[in-house]
Amino acid sequence: MQPLKSSNFFELLLFLLRRRVRRRIVGRSMLPLLRPGDEILIDPRAYLAQPPHPDDMVWVADPRNAANMMVKRVLAVEPDGSLFIVGLNRAESTDSRHFGTVTPEQVAGRVTSLFSKVQKGISEEA
Amino acid sequence: MLTNVISTLFPAQDVAAHCDGPCGVYDPAQARVHAEAVLSMTKKILALDPSDASHDTINTMSRYIAIKEEEAHSTKTHLLVLWTDFFKPAHLEANPDLHDKFWKAAKLCSECKVHVSLESAQALMAAVEDIHNMFWAAKGQDRPFVTAS
Repeated sequence: MQPLKSSNFFELLLFLLRRRVRRRIVGRSMLPLLRPGDEILIDPRAYLAQPPHPDDMVWVADPRNAANMMVKRVLAVEPDGSLFIVGLNRAESTDSRHFGTVTPEQVAGRVTSLFSKVQKGISEEA
Repeated sequence: MLTNVISTLFPAQDVAAHCDGPCGVYDPAQARVHAEAVLSMTKKILALDPSDASHDTINTMSRYIAIKEEEAHSTKTHLLVLWTDFFKPAHLEANPDLHDKFWKAAKLCSECKVHVSLESAQALMAAVEDIHNMFWAAKGQDRPFVTAS
């Protein structure tokens, strides 16, 4: 998995134009790429014209509780279009291995960049 | 950096990247019990005489097959949990053929599911024993491979 790029000028501009959503990571399932406290930018329009692809990092609703939004990686796209999503830190992630695949409709956006990194010393909170 | 200042002054809403319960409890014994059941059911199926096409024989055969398939699938599930959750990249140094062993063991589960092969069922038990040894060596413990039957 490629490291997530820091938000560049273009990304920040899109954020100011409200074309990006900013969210803060809670939990350790996306270590080592995303640490608790890191903030990311998400493109909520990324999948209006095309479905998610394998390796995309997605902003997705928990199929057991739609109010709980999660960040996971798409491991595979099934023939019927459903998505098998996993955390990068398999030992500490609840994902498709537990609740099954998710539908493309449950995906609310694609993670596009790292807005800010958590300062050292507070990254262990989860 | 400006973005760090923004994050500090105006924190974003949370998004979950958590685990419901990272219990960290793993044991290849789970896979072993299911693999033993596969071997047992394979032996029972082979012991049945299919030329006696009575309702009872067909019923028994169906039950044995259903259990064998279910147990083979459970064996695979428990092996995959060990592979993807317990074993870490660091373990590859001591076991460079770790991926190959798990891949072949998982393939044997499918083999046992699809066919009635005593050879495959015994090979699956041997593969589970191999993984048992690799697992306990990784934990720095010497645990004998004990079967229930």
